[in-house]
Amino acid sequence: MRINQLINNHSFTLLTNTPDDVLINNVVACDLLSHVMANADEGDVLITVLNNINVLGVASLLDLSLVIFSYNINVDDSIILKANELNIPLFKSNLTTAEVVYLLKEMDKTIE
Amino acid sequence: MDFQIERNDIANAGTVSSLTKRHLKKRGLSRSFVKRVTIGVYEAEINVVIHSYGGTANLNIENDYVEIEFKDVGPGIECISTAMQEGFSTASPYAIENGFGAGMGLPNIKSVSDEMYLDSSEDGTTLRIRFYIKDEDYENKPINK
Repeated sequence: MRINQLINNHSFTLLTNTPDDVLINNVVACDLLSHVMANADEGDVLITVLNNINVLGVASLLDLSLVIFSYNINVDDSIILKANELNIPLFKSNLTTAEVVYLLKEMDKTIE
Repeated sequence: MDFQIERNDIANAGTVSSLTKRHLKKRGLSRSFVKRVTIGVYEAEINVVIHSYGGTANLNIENDYVEIEFKDVGPGIECISTAMQEGFSTASPYAIENGFGAGMGLPNIKSVSDEMYLDSSEDGTTLRIRFYIKDEDYENKPINK
């Protein structure tokens, strides 16, 4: 799956500048950053409800492809600003974390 | 290279690991090796931020190993063997709100590093982790390698 598929899907709202159409690898849904550090890989999507600048630190360290904030949580402007600096695409969704995972799997059957 | 790490400075947590990652990539080391070191350094750095009164990190990159030593000024780890158990955490509500305190820090560090030295008293904790570099860990070997 590619980022443009998310941009074109009405379930997701892009919060940051329009990103390059990079390839998405896999999905990690987690709100504990140590688990994300231990289990996510380069190119993965992180789905979280953590409205926190450290999400960007982890995304940057692991070279994640993007972050999706589920449950329509409010994302601070400072986080969006920093994400634009770091070129980390951020999306927001009204869906629950489980629904986002399910939808991404429906959109790309290769996601494990 | 020496770094200062401030207590509860969550906004800057990850600076040491980010700079370490940058230096390792410049050395031509592979993504998998860089990821391994980055995980260990990040977890150790977060521990100093959320559990200690502040401390320092010293990074040493050689051709055949990377070593980083973290020293803080307390309050120390009460029982190291308990702290090494997955899921055990003494993190504050502040740390937990920020996505930390899963009790995975020290176990993660142990699993990614080749050597880990940990000593603690109420005056402070010293953590030293070493990662050996094999020939295959270089994507681009340095000229003097």
